[in-house]
Amino acid sequence: MGSAPRHSREPLEFRPKMAETPPTRPAPGPDEPPLEPDAQAYLELRQLILAPEQEALERLHQRVDDPASRTEDVGSVVAEAIQLRRKQGGDEALSVALAPTIETALRESVRKDPATLADALFPVMGPAIRRSILETLRSFLESFNQVLDQSLSVKGLKWRIEALRTGRSFTEVALLHSLVFRVEQVFLIHKKTGLPIGHAVASAVAMQDPSLVSGMLSAIQDFVRDSFQASQGQGINRMNVGDLDVWIEEGPYAILACVIRGIAPRELRDRMAEVLENVHREYSVQLDEFDGDTAPFTRVREELSRCLEHRYKEETRAKSFGFVYASAAIIFVVVGGWLGWRAVQYGRWDRLVNTLREQPGFVITSSGREHGKFVVRGMRDPLAADPAQFIKGSDVNAADGEFHWGGYYALDDRIVEQRAKAILSPPATAILAVNSGVLRVSGAASANWVRDVQSKATLVPGIRSVELSPELDPGRLAFNQARSQIESAVVKFPVASAALSPAESQSLRNLAGNIEALVQAADSLHKRVTLEVLGHTDSTGAEAANLDLSQRRADRVAWELGQLGIPERVLRARGVGTTNPLRTEDNEENRQFNRSATFRVSAPVP
Amino acid sequence: MLQKKICMLGSFAVGKTSLVRRFVESIYSDVYQTTVGVKIDKKNVRVNEKEVSLVLWDIYGEDDYQKMRWTYLRGASGYLLVADGTRKATLEKAVSLEQKVREEAGGIPFVLVINKSDLIRDWELDAALESQLAGQGWSILRSSAKTGEGVEESFSLLTQKMLG
Repeated sequence: MGSAPRHSREPLEFRPKMAETPPTRPAPGPDEPPLEPDAQAYLELRQLILAPEQEALERLHQRVDDPASRTEDVGSVVAEAIQLRRKQGGDEALSVALAPTIETALRESVRKDPATLADALFPVMGPAIRRSILETLRSFLESFNQVLDQSLSVKGLKWRIEALRTGRSFTEVALLHSLVFRVEQVFLIHKKTGLPIGHAVASAVAMQDPSLVSGMLSAIQDFVRDSFQASQGQGINRMNVGDLDVWIEEGPYAILACVIRGIAPRELRDRMAEVLENVHREYSVQLDEFDGDTAPFTRVREELSRCLEHRYKEETRAKSFGFVYASAAIIFVVVGGWLGWRAVQYGRWDRLVNTLREQPGFVITSSGREHGKFVVRGMRDPLAADPAQFIKGSDVNAADGEFHWGGYYALDDRIVEQRAKAILSPPATAILAVNSGVLRVSGAASANWVRDVQSKATLVPGIRSVELSPELDPGRLAFNQARSQIESAVVKFPVASAALSPAESQSLRNLAGNIEALVQAADSLHKRVTLEVLGHTDSTGAEAANLDLSQRRADRVAWELGQLGIPERVLRARGVGTTNPLRTEDNEENRQFNRSATFRVSAPVP
Repeated sequence: MLQKKICMLGSFAVGKTSLVRRFVESIYSDVYQTTVGVKIDKKNVRVNEKEVSLVLWDIYGEDDYQKMRWTYLRGASGYLLVADGTRKATLEKAVSLEQKVREEAGGIPFVLVINKSDLIRDWELDAALESQLAGQGWSILRSSAKTGEGVEESFSLLTQKMLG
């Protein structure tokens, strides 16, 4: 807005106008009486004195009443008035007052012709849009990086922890670690004033105000030089702060300082010297006459940018993966080894458990590792084999194992057989065998024991029934028993007599019991039994007489037996004389045995 | 961009640092002053339609100025000479500092700032000396770092003098 020249309007100051308007007394009207000369003079005097003020007043009135001239007046001072208002600190009130008008004006301008405002804004729109796009892209890239960097590499994790610890962004930490070196900032500082002449900065580097840093750098330079009485030209040429290095090159007029992150190569120093020389050559006059105005040095930034070098680790990926592979391999070997060793241990124990499982009298309910031990739980029959003997036979370490057994009766045939033998106490001649719960008894045994087995065997857990072999049939056993007793009996007679002594009569009565049992057994076996009573004599005397005597002796015994209740149908009496002697008659005792009656049981098989 | 190095000079505890703090927002802590002996701040001012960047070297004030690091004055375009209105001696000190600066750095523009105008009742200012200095052409301003009075003006006046 241009301001109108302050004095372009009509001057307000008082000015006599005598020349243009002489103070003439107005001529008296026709009806007005002529004035007295004194009054006339007074009027003229009054006119002379007051006319200019009256005219000025008149003009003022006109100006105040006339909007056009008022506008003119205000228009000429409006710019100054706004400036004054701002100086008085009324900025905000002014903005508030003007904002609606400006907004309406802008809207009106756009409505009338959008091109005008577009043309006016054109120079600022480009940078504004670029900046906005850059900001958006930058934040997008950052978040994209974050997603991308979620990869679980060991290094990535370490960096993530460091980022958390230091409060820096992960991207920044990752960048710093993959960096060999980077020149982050370059300062060209006027030596005498400590003012920055030029400053170049790498992208995405947080920086402080160059003026302050330059000032402080030269102050420190001075401080050190003063403190150690170094001469001009000598000073700090390197400072180290954490992983930041500041390299300083000094020229006659200016100092070049590079802020470096990481370890820069020696060549950077040469590059700095070269840049400083170039600056001194190109701007020697300006440097000498520097009064704080950096305008002549606008192009120095390009030169400084030559120092903004950087180098990244190229082998980072390979290295990091090598490490990952090596770690993975070690972990694999360790874990694999441990798993393998465990598998071997488990395998041994499993084999032992399987062996036990196959043994009669064992039931394994669970097996596995508990509190570092291999624990086997199950049930064991008291008659089953001792587990210790299996552990001894296997390659497991008994100390690593633990067994918990509950008692039970196993139904395995072998165990049942052992149990049956323990409970039934068979004679050595008897053979016991169990098959699917059936106890088979064979061999030789007494009828009593067999009867015992028959009554008790099914009380043995695991035995459902008993099968006796035919020779152990109670009927047959009783028959054979009676038979052997009967056939071993000898009824002795006095010499040449068929009479029975009282003792022999008694033993005959005893024998009759056996014969009754025999007959009963034969009946139960459905056998027809015949008891042949054989009469014997000694060899003395005539054969015919002996034969007769032996017949009488046989008859006598058969008759006695008949008297004792033995049915006659089973009895046969036959004298055999001396044809069937019991003993050789080499003495009297043996001869006595031949004066007797004996028994022979014949039982044809039905 | 036009930049000017200016220094703050004056006796111990006259309020130099407070004046600077009133004037700028700083990135360095005050510890620098007692360690390196100087603290550097920056303020952009506009004088005569010109944007000027003032780099303030707030030099640690020791009453024994033999111990002051005069090298820090090198290259300064001007300086604020600060005195404390409540201590007469600081004004005398300012006078001798001015002489010393003239010897060390030549006659560069300066403004004498008499600080602590908020405590005007306690002032023991030597009015005769003040008017004598004014007579010598010294620019003298009264300021208060506490209320802000005269602070901006002091820097503006100095800048105007530096720009000639």
